[in-house]
Amino acid sequence: MRIKLEQVTKNYGNVQGISNINLDVGTGITGILGPNGAGKSTTMKMILGLSRPSRGRVTVEGKDPFTSQDLKRNFGFVPEYDCFYEHMTGLEFVAYFLRMHDISKEKAEGMARESLSELGLELAMDRKINTYSRGMRQKTKVARATVFNPEILIMDEPFQGADPTTRILLMEKMTKWAENGKTILVSSHILHDVQSLTDNIALINNGKMLAYGNRHEIRDLINIPRPISIVPVKKGNLRKLAKIMIDKKWTKATAIDEENNEVTIETNQSEEIYLELPKILQKEKITVEKIYSEDDSLDSLYSKLVEGAQWK
Amino acid sequence: MEMIKRTLEDVSQIPVMLQTFAKRSKNVFPPIAKDSMYRLLINKVTWVIIAILLLPCLLGVIIYYQTDEDRQIQNIDGDKVYYNSEGDLIHEEKIEAFAGQNYMIIIIIVAVIVAIVFSSELINEEYEKKTMQLLKTTPIHSFEILLYRYITGVICMFGILGLGSILLYYTTMMSSGLHGILENLDVLSLMLKVLLFESIAFMAVFCIFTVYFEKPFLVGIIYWAVWERIVSTQNYQKLTVTHYLDSIMFDSAKDMNLGVDAEFFNLVNSSGDIIATEPLNAMLTIIIFAIFALWFGARGIANKQF
Repeated sequence: MRIKLEQVTKNYGNVQGISNINLDVGTGITGILGPNGAGKSTTMKMILGLSRPSRGRVTVEGKDPFTSQDLKRNFGFVPEYDCFYEHMTGLEFVAYFLRMHDISKEKAEGMARESLSELGLELAMDRKINTYSRGMRQKTKVARATVFNPEILIMDEPFQGADPTTRILLMEKMTKWAENGKTILVSSHILHDVQSLTDNIALINNGKMLAYGNRHEIRDLINIPRPISIVPVKKGNLRKLAKIMIDKKWTKATAIDEENNEVTIETNQSEEIYLELPKILQKEKITVEKIYSEDDSLDSLYSKLVEGAQWK
Repeated sequence: MEMIKRTLEDVSQIPVMLQTFAKRSKNVFPPIAKDSMYRLLINKVTWVIIAILLLPCLLGVIIYYQTDEDRQIQNIDGDKVYYNSEGDLIHEEKIEAFAGQNYMIIIIIVAVIVAIVFSSELINEEYEKKTMQLLKTTPIHSFEILLYRYITGVICMFGILGLGSILLYYTTMMSSGLHGILENLDVLSLMLKVLLFESIAFMAVFCIFTVYFEKPFLVGIIYWAVWERIVSTQNYQKLTVTHYLDSIMFDSAKDMNLGVDAEFFNLVNSSGDIIATEPLNAMLTIIIFAIFALWFGARGIANKQF
């Protein structure tokens, strides 16, 4: 299913929630990234039809989610905050929302039991929610949102408060759902979480879309040198390596980090370096432990974009 | 213009919507009713209200034991008829006490508090706990969200107040024996009828407040004090729920010789003319008003942004 946001702005009185956001999301996992208060939840709420844009247009399969009742059969929503009927058991809670989909009691209970068991809550599902840990609550929210096999899954900070086991389990599930053709929109302020799930990202800050697309492609658009670090096996080769690199035409700057035993070069032609470097190292008989660039990571990409990097 | 267009569209959709709701109700209504009833019954305020309702009943029992020895019995056609020490029929004296207490305590005060508390628990709590956001991402229609909670609220409100009235009737009338209790069942049924229509009307009013206002309790109290207590005694009283409830009560109470007149219910205008509405029309007005209120409330839920 296709989600489209066209020039969407949302104001809360005089406060601007998001401004001129464009987004076109298809099947698979898309990460919405940004710090707290960036506008991620506002964007998700508009897609879910919980809020209306002040300007612009939000459509899901060409329909307005705020007014279309049919679309709601296809929405699975995992909110960031806790919103439970605390007096219910996990099973009752999940089954309750299934009944809202016009599903009979017996069938709803069976589906809820299966979904909660899949998420590892088979022993806790008959306990009241007010006795649940944060991880259990998170799993219950996910079970509620996914039990009816929705086409669109909107997950707002789904890993928040989840223990490592829950985190891994949720990631596995999300990958599986995406493989089955679901449209998954996941927001997080923890970049690492999304990095391990998808390359397709939307970066939001202060209500504005900084970048949207494949994270590697986004990085290539940023016209600032990329750091590549080389760690030689012998510490004595550090200076020699730095000298060789500084003479190369594709090197903008070189730095030696004796403490970590590495030489870092900054370049605009990283692909050329990756091709040439093995030949140089072989010729100079320098053995290296590793060559790496942290610059492709979302953390690095995000900080560059937020700091107002230049664009080609 | 757009609002009129949307309203007309809504109206044209009503038959299809009603058909869909009726089909879905067997799956959607029971869990909502079960959850709503549970929430109302575990609410501490509900038990405070029940305790308040029991107080006049307790008073009735105390009076019974205090005056028990003064009663005189006469056997008429196999029925035991009780008289007080002055030779008056006890049930005639007691029924006026019951009607007065039931009207002043339950119908005027407690019922309004119950409606405010229940509507707040059923609707406002969904906003407070943010479960309304979850509901709004499911295929349930905003009218269903409101209607099923409203129906449950009306059933619970009428159930609690009705049982309170029955208990009050019994404890007040028990000194008049079985004869007195059976003799005045029409008064009890009138009170229950008024309570039913009061539940229908006030639950609808306060459901609207919980949808549209952030502090429904405060708005509800102000509405009741200003609109239902002051305006309901003036010339424009036909705009109040109290007028229609009093009209239902007045007509029957007059026939039952409960010693009340139009002025007692404030059903007169500034010229002194009786402006009571026919009971049947009053009942219909309340039902139509409740339907309109639910539609208006549902629009509020549908248009609410989070």
